[in-house]
Amino acid sequence: MKKLCPILVVLFVPGVLLADEVYLKDAGSISGRVVEQNETTVKVDIGDGFIAVPASRVERIEKGRSPLDEYADRAAKLAPDDVEGWKTLARWASKQGYPGQARQACQKVLAVAPNDPDVRKALGFVSLDGKWVTLEESYRAKGYVKFDGEWMTPAEAQAGQAALTAERAQRDADYRANAAENTAVQEQARAEKAEERARYEKEKADQLNPPVYWGGWGYGAAVWPTLGTDGFWSDK
Amino acid sequence: MIKVASALVLCAVVAASVAAPPARAASPPTVDKIVAKYVAARGGLKKIRSVQSLRQKGHVTAGPNQEGIVTRELKRPAHTRFEFKVQGVTAVFVSDGKHGWKVDPFSGDAELQPLSDQVVAEAAEQGDFEGPLVDWKAKGHTVELAGTEDLAGRPAYKLKVTLGSGGVRYDYIDATSMNLVRTDTTRQVRGRPVQIQTTFGDFKKTDGLLFPRFVEVAAAGRPNTLRIDVESVEVNPPLSDARFAMPALPPAAK
Repeated sequence: MKKLCPILVVLFVPGVLLADEVYLKDAGSISGRVVEQNETTVKVDIGDGFIAVPASRVERIEKGRSPLDEYADRAAKLAPDDVEGWKTLARWASKQGYPGQARQACQKVLAVAPNDPDVRKALGFVSLDGKWVTLEESYRAKGYVKFDGEWMTPAEAQAGQAALTAERAQRDADYRANAAENTAVQEQARAEKAEERARYEKEKADQLNPPVYWGGWGYGAAVWPTLGTDGFWSDK
Repeated sequence: MIKVASALVLCAVVAASVAAPPARAASPPTVDKIVAKYVAARGGLKKIRSVQSLRQKGHVTAGPNQEGIVTRELKRPAHTRFEFKVQGVTAVFVSDGKHGWKVDPFSGDAELQPLSDQVVAEAAEQGDFEGPLVDWKAKGHTVELAGTEDLAGRPAYKLKVTLGSGGVRYDYIDATSMNLVRTDTTRQVRGRPVQIQTTFGDFKKTDGLLFPRFVEVAAAGRPNTLRIDVESVEVNPPLSDARFAMPALPPAAK
């Protein structure tokens, strides 16, 4: 970080300050501003929270202009009451894949036009009986229930609960059957149980967010990453 | 007199309708015919087979404050690379159809990790970017016509596709455009089966091949949907094998 300070001082002018592109080993990257860098960790401000990765996983860091820079430039030129300007900027940020900046721009609009329908919808509000309510409130009003981190019909939740109960019963039965065989099997069962427990804990952590259904166009990202205030990797 | 004439006309009509052979209901086309028309609508078999690699980029929305950029790269025989970028953070998922790996900074450690068997199977399905209907017999799938259904007011042929791997999906081919407009699959999510419905629309041609530019994914009984707006399609972009090669996994991840 010390090495970066002189550069930051020289470039600390809006529109000139460049973002850091942190390239990870093998694949992947993080675009933002490195706020902490030491032997063990690289911490990056991504404009809507922070993300830290082990320094050992970082291949290189390059300076470059990112959508965050452009957002900052464009936001600096907007008057607080320029509703159309902020809405255009929100749409632009959204298209760039920066929901944090889109939200910030929308909130600027709400400050001067609290009932703007475009912005209310963009922020997830739903008009119900003439009132703006949150998406969750609208789901509840429509009879959906929350099960395993996602909203669904009561029938789906019931089916889900039944499947979970059956799976647990099967697991327990398998465990008892295996355990009766011999000590080696018991040991293996214990190991499997521990593994199962670890998987369960991981699943529970994942359940902070509902699953993502890619439906044949993409795979691998099982849950939507938590941004903003509540994510485990965000300590803003 | 008029009444008598009307009665005679009515009798004649009834008699004619009874005597005439019943109008033959149009027999449904065979699976082969439907698939052939679908392949032609996409651009033709020759064109489809000429595709060696593909890159598609789009914008994904899963709800308020849930937006990102997705890039999908595919290369024969079954290589897939999926990049998912949110708020400037890019996670990468790669598979050769048999194995897979990921670097996912969202998971907290950004370590190189193997993909689970379930995710590799999902990737392998996407690796066949011709789709299972093209050359379905040679690929070891079976396809049956399971009727027709009205989708948004338009008739569609419902094809039951039993994959060689054993999985079953339903593909809906619009009876007029002959485009694949919907696919229904079942996925195991958190240990239980979930019916997934993927709808395709806004078809546009790139290099003589038709691609959907709008993809919407819904899960049974859930109000949330995931929407992908495909903004660019590149046919046969140069994609080196190195982009799909599996790096050496750290010992702990093996």
